[in-house]
Amino acid sequence: MSNVETIPGKSVVSSLGLVTGSTVRAKHLGKDIFAGLKNLVGGELKAYTELLNESRNEALQRMMMQAHSMGANGIVNVRFATSNVAAGASELFCYGTAVIIE
Amino acid sequence: MAGGGAIILVYILGPILISLLFPILSWAIGRWYQDRLMDALLVNEKQQGNMLQSDQHLSTQSLMTTMTAESSTLLHVSICVGPSMGQIFFMWCKSIFGGRLHSYDVVLDYGRREALLRLNQQAKDLGCSSMVNIRIETSTVSFAKNDKSNTSSVEFLAFATGIRQ
Repeated sequence: MSNVETIPGKSVVSSLGLVTGSTVRAKHLGKDIFAGLKNLVGGELKAYTELLNESRNEALQRMMMQAHSMGANGIVNVRFATSNVAAGASELFCYGTAVIIE
Repeated sequence: MAGGGAIILVYILGPILISLLFPILSWAIGRWYQDRLMDALLVNEKQQGNMLQSDQHLSTQSLMTTMTAESSTLLHVSICVGPSMGQIFFMWCKSIFGGRLHSYDVVLDYGRREALLRLNQQAKDLGCSSMVNIRIETSTVSFAKNDKSNTSSVEFLAFATGIRQ
């Protein structure tokens, strides 16, 4: 996987089209309250950071699964997007182009 | 009557002071805590910082001429930061007049630099010697169940392609 047009060090043989992966996450109440307490001092909110990392990895995993089922062995030009779909939940979305490399 | 006056003063000023106590406390703690975070960041940056400003870290798409690539991998790192409630309260007061919001300045600056540092660390852990196409994205994250909640935070996502040479 790379987020540039090619995979450095390898050559792209053919491209198979767009692959996407997304996940919607809300965090549980305990963490919400804890993060609220953390908001008293500000700075980094570790609970949120962890949650977002976890869900982003899941989204990437789904994208890779899709690419794999298409028979691709690489994904180029990966992009991430985050959006608030509802109060208390956020969607993590990633997309890229599945390619066959050698 | 002097005693009565004092009691009235306490009854009027007491609630005002108590209601202001919480934001002031939160502001002061936030300031202190974030200064400590900033100091830690500066120490880390001194250790790794020279790497960040080298020709091995590029925001361009293509490899520069001196680079050769064996293999590559996608790196991504995200961090959530937010100012403290007291700071949000005082920023709301400040925004009546407008001008520079120092608290947000500090917090956002911290978040972005910390994200870049962690990206660098991740590159090291995965054995990458250089990065290309570094991108930083910003988005607001609110997990609050209702809009009235003051809990607000900003997420910085930094991603790049790491190159093993």
